[in-house]
Amino acid sequence: MFKKPLAFIKKDFLIESSYKFAFLLHIFGIFAWILTFYFIDKLFGSVITPHLKPYGVNYFSYVLLGIAFFTYVGTGTGSLAARIRNEQLMGTLETLLLTPARLSMIIISMSVWNFIWASISVVAYLIFGALLFGIDFSHTNLLSAFVILILTVTSFSGLGLLAASFIMVLKRGQPVTWAVNMSFELLGGVYFPITIFPGWLQIISHLLPVTYSIRAMQLAVYKGYSLQSLSSDIMALLLFSVILMPAGLLAFKWAVRRAKMNGNLAHY
Amino acid sequence: MNHILDVDGLTKDFIPPLSFSKLFRLDFKHRKPTRALEAISFSLEKGKMLGVLGPNGAGKTTLLKIIATLILPDKGSVVINGYRLGIDDDEIKSFIGLVSSQERSFYWRLTGRQNLEFFASMYDLENAKDRIEELLNFFEIDYQDDRFDSYSSGMKQKFVLMRGLLNDPGLLLLDEPTKSLDYTTALNLRNFIKEDLVRKKGKTVIFTTHNMDEASDFCDLFMILHKGKLYAMGTLDELRKKVNNPTATLGEIFVKLTERS
Repeated sequence: MFKKPLAFIKKDFLIESSYKFAFLLHIFGIFAWILTFYFIDKLFGSVITPHLKPYGVNYFSYVLLGIAFFTYVGTGTGSLAARIRNEQLMGTLETLLLTPARLSMIIISMSVWNFIWASISVVAYLIFGALLFGIDFSHTNLLSAFVILILTVTSFSGLGLLAASFIMVLKRGQPVTWAVNMSFELLGGVYFPITIFPGWLQIISHLLPVTYSIRAMQLAVYKGYSLQSLSSDIMALLLFSVILMPAGLLAFKWAVRRAKMNGNLAHY
Repeated sequence: MNHILDVDGLTKDFIPPLSFSKLFRLDFKHRKPTRALEAISFSLEKGKMLGVLGPNGAGKTTLLKIIATLILPDKGSVVINGYRLGIDDDEIKSFIGLVSSQERSFYWRLTGRQNLEFFASMYDLENAKDRIEELLNFFEIDYQDDRFDSYSSGMKQKFVLMRGLLNDPGLLLLDEPTKSLDYTTALNLRNFIKEDLVRKKGKTVIFTTHNMDEASDFCDLFMILHKGKLYAMGTLDELRKKVNNPTATLGEIFVKLTERS
């Protein structure tokens, strides 16, 4: 059962580690990004402080966790589509689909490395935050954080499958993923709590799964909220997962079938 | 008859992508399909080598890709070793091997060996490492631990062939595998396919080419495919009888059979 995902992890690790400088740049990029928000907090942080009362932290702590955790959201929505596109460009997609490996297994296996990579990034954010900028993560409720993480991965992977379906059929669909991720970042409470929005915009925010993910993770990490205290956010994420995951899988299967019908599985 | 492949009434049309002008006119209907294959029917016995001959655009690759489950047909049925296409696709994928002239279908930043190990794991092979060693030894390869992007076209093509043989397929589909090879390498490859795979191991092979000379002394059976239609299939002698010329070459047979189309 784990043979294929492990083979993908090994293959992706070998490829990724062959670009050594890119890894260093990635880590440096994370540090620079954190530094940017550190100084933004110094300048304007006090303005937003009243909106951060429910989380009991300053702006810098809030935004650091927001952008760190959004890595998982971005990975869920966009990385599978990017991987499919990459495999199309390399000509390996058709070869993979020629093997008896199940389509669902190929998708899961392709995604595993993306989430490992996302986790490396998140750990880098948290280590920089804790060691260099003194952010206190000691109140974290690990069980709640873990459950929120799993539900975030499943609900956003459903969206990722929908994005990958676009790629399979239209060959280029990154603008769709980009637009989705941008709207999630803006409206989901990543950079600021949604309470600063006017009422009508908050309604839109509540239609997005990212809003529940970010809020619940902030509360689990900084306030140590239990699963029971986060039950409404968990239920919302569960609902999104139950709807989006099967919808994404069905869409992707349809997209592969359509590509086989059109004979353009290998086209890009 | 011990048929390993039965193809019946295989038809495939490709609908061209929607042009901008039609998209703006919301005209989704008037797209003239291109017929890639038209009512193709044939059977192939175990242990035979079939050469599918035809110019570019004849439908050779489409035929192979349908058999390999990569393209869905519009009509017709394909049964491979008792497995029905569209129903038993996983079994079919385990039974076949596809080798194309596509050297691009590898991970170029990995070594040749790492590529083979990765693809072998997709087949759930029990003795993958032994199988890979066996293939590397057979093809006398000593560059398997160099990165794939450092290989020449001929070296890459050997890996395409080895990958196609990883699962020891009962039916091997070869889509113009010698296209990017020099004369000697191509000759060695053809000899290996004919002598080792077909004669010694009893494998069934379908080999496509537009090079009639290449196929003539290499295959047991020949299929003449042109503009998606099957004009004839049989041994060289049977095809010669069909054109009433006992010394006709495959090229001459092809011209004779397709001249009115």
